[in-house]
Amino acid sequence: MSDFRRRRLAALAAKIAVLEADGRADAGVLPFGAPSLDGRLAGGGLPLGRWHEITGEGLEAETGAAPAAFAALTATPLARRGEAVWVMRRDDLWTPGLMGLGFPPQRLIQVCARDEAEALAVMEDALATAGVSAVIGEVEAVDLTAGRRLQLACEKHGATGFVIKRRPFGGTGKLEPAGSTAATRWRVASAPSEPPAGEFGLGAPRLSVTLERSRGGRPGAWILEAASAYSWETGDAAHPLRLVAELGDRELAPAQDRRAA
Amino acid sequence: MSPRTGATEGAVSPLALVETVRQIRRLVAVSPEAARLGLFPGQKATDGRALVPELELADAEPDADAAALTALVDWCVRFSPAVAADPPDGLFLDIEGADHLWGGEAAMLADFRARLAANGLVFRLAVADTPGAAWALARFGPDGVIAPPGGQAALLAPLPPAALRLDPEAAAQIERLGLRRLGQVMDIPRAPFGRRFGAAALTRLDQALGRAPEALRFRRPPTPWAARLALVEPISAPDDMARVAGDVTAKLCARLEAEDHGARRFEIAFHRVDGKSPTLAVGLSRAGRDAGRIARLFQPKLETVDPGFGVEAVSIWAYEVEALGARQSRLDAGVEARDSLAPLVDRLANRLGPERVWRAAPVESHVPERSVSRRPPLADEMVEAFPWDPEAPRPVRLFRRPEPLEDVTALLPDDPPIQFRWRGRLHRVRRAEGPERIGAEWWTQDIEDVSTGHVRDYYRVEDAGGARFWLFRAGLYGEAPPKWWLHGLFG
Repeated sequence: MSDFRRRRLAALAAKIAVLEADGRADAGVLPFGAPSLDGRLAGGGLPLGRWHEITGEGLEAETGAAPAAFAALTATPLARRGEAVWVMRRDDLWTPGLMGLGFPPQRLIQVCARDEAEALAVMEDALATAGVSAVIGEVEAVDLTAGRRLQLACEKHGATGFVIKRRPFGGTGKLEPAGSTAATRWRVASAPSEPPAGEFGLGAPRLSVTLERSRGGRPGAWILEAASAYSWETGDAAHPLRLVAELGDRELAPAQDRRAA
Repeated sequence: MSPRTGATEGAVSPLALVETVRQIRRLVAVSPEAARLGLFPGQKATDGRALVPELELADAEPDADAAALTALVDWCVRFSPAVAADPPDGLFLDIEGADHLWGGEAAMLADFRARLAANGLVFRLAVADTPGAAWALARFGPDGVIAPPGGQAALLAPLPPAALRLDPEAAAQIERLGLRRLGQVMDIPRAPFGRRFGAAALTRLDQALGRAPEALRFRRPPTPWAARLALVEPISAPDDMARVAGDVTAKLCARLEAEDHGARRFEIAFHRVDGKSPTLAVGLSRAGRDAGRIARLFQPKLETVDPGFGVEAVSIWAYEVEALGARQSRLDAGVEARDSLAPLVDRLANRLGPERVWRAAPVESHVPERSVSRRPPLADEMVEAFPWDPEAPRPVRLFRRPEPLEDVTALLPDDPPIQFRWRGRLHRVRRAEGPERIGAEWWTQDIEDVSTGHVRDYYRVEDAGGARFWLFRAGLYGEAPPKWWLHGLFG
């Protein structure tokens, strides 16, 4: 085989690899640092350069506090690399609270959109901008077209998107679309904290996190703790969320509504 | 000149506008027909009706008059960039250096007159060296008079003292003393005149004669950074509008580029054939002169411009112009983050409005809802350290208005509640922290308004399901049953 042919074949193979990778350059992953969690995610960590869906349960689907905390904590390592943009429809996000969780508020640009379509358009625009590393958006639903557009925007510069599904107050919420182009889908709720023995008050905030869908991975459920929240220490750990406990496999023991207790 | 459109047809009934001042309805403006019948502004409406029974009365609309004057001022920019409104019914046009474009003052005045008349306005015009003289001649002199340079004194001499822009009482007083012509006023010694009638009268006289300077408040500060495109034929198609907007932007930006300047605000005006000129404005977060980028910011707003019967010229102005050195784009692929953010912020701010895109900035205040302010995202000074104490836990979501809690049970004063009802659901508190007392900012209000009722005791509580709330009790624990509120939610 001539040298030219070999090179030609190598180029074709590379092209096929790109096509198989869905046209996206590999932006890497963000490992949580816990093998039981990272093992469920394709590539051994939260895929970057993709977008992720975060939902809340019960009243949280309206107030979106626990999903916002999870999104902020997950995006904190990304916000240290570039700008973060938070797109909302109701401006009740409070920066001192984000700072308490360790999120750098000076890297955050907040945008209040007037409607759903505008929020998605702003997200897409921000994701496609160089220098923006994470975009968090609060929207009601992402249909297939919008999801595909978000994905294309993510691929431009490897920015990572987080979509917090949030219902407007009093609304019934839209029907879940059948498919989604999100890389992962998380269901997040607050979990009871455990203060260290002999101490009063609340412990470090804990979140009950269910990985409902993971492209190229498997679902699972865990309790995570923001160990360095509300302290001056920034935490040396690579990820601000620390695994506390693994919950039973979802298929075997469906997550019960602990809130209803 | 009057922006009010008067009834000009022949056989119309006399019309007057009335205004109620101190419960007396008085005429403020009368139509020519009414004036011919002896009515005059300032007359009582009932007197007018008695004299002319067929008189039609309508309420004066000062706001609409002001809006019409503003529109007229905007339109006059086609003659000179320096236009100043002179409410309620006049305007000044600084035509120095502009009249030669029409071939002299007379030709310019004729064109001006023809265009005003075509718009159905009733007006009087005058050209003079000073705003004061032009004002006097337009109102009291022959219509359309052009005072030769330095020759306004002769033309002003026969006018009454009211032509000096004095308040009516002062003018009447001058007249009462026998000074019925400005010529007489100019002849008498200055010092006694100033003593008798005040410095204001003297200043007005000097301003009219060009002995004292007068500053006019121009409609928009005339910026030297402007470009204009006159079109061969009126256009109205959206594509054409976008193209001329791009072309005129490129023209201005080429000049900015050549002189090493950039601007933060651009305003574009579409001069329509019917005399209106809708404008659009875009702002940049950092001074720029990239024509393509600025034109793209105008693009989505263009559809809000109604071209009417066509647009015959386009003007663009640049404001907040500052020196901007030529920036070399970097040779490596990496783009400086702030340089690439600026276009994004500009797109968002121009599409959503600048108040919808912000970065949080700390404010020195204990009151939670006041401790955050909003700053433009790319403001020059960056806040690096935030004074908020991370060890005082603060919620991720803060309600703009705290929500009332019901069925709150607290066992002891200053104890956190053991249960509360919020949005119809009962929450049992499992763990709690607090109180953190946040007082009112008594130093910002009157001493009488300071009370313990503004004190809030905040608690961080966690219910059995793990949800964490930030709630507070208003006021001190006392006689009245305490009021509890939910202010925020932790994740």
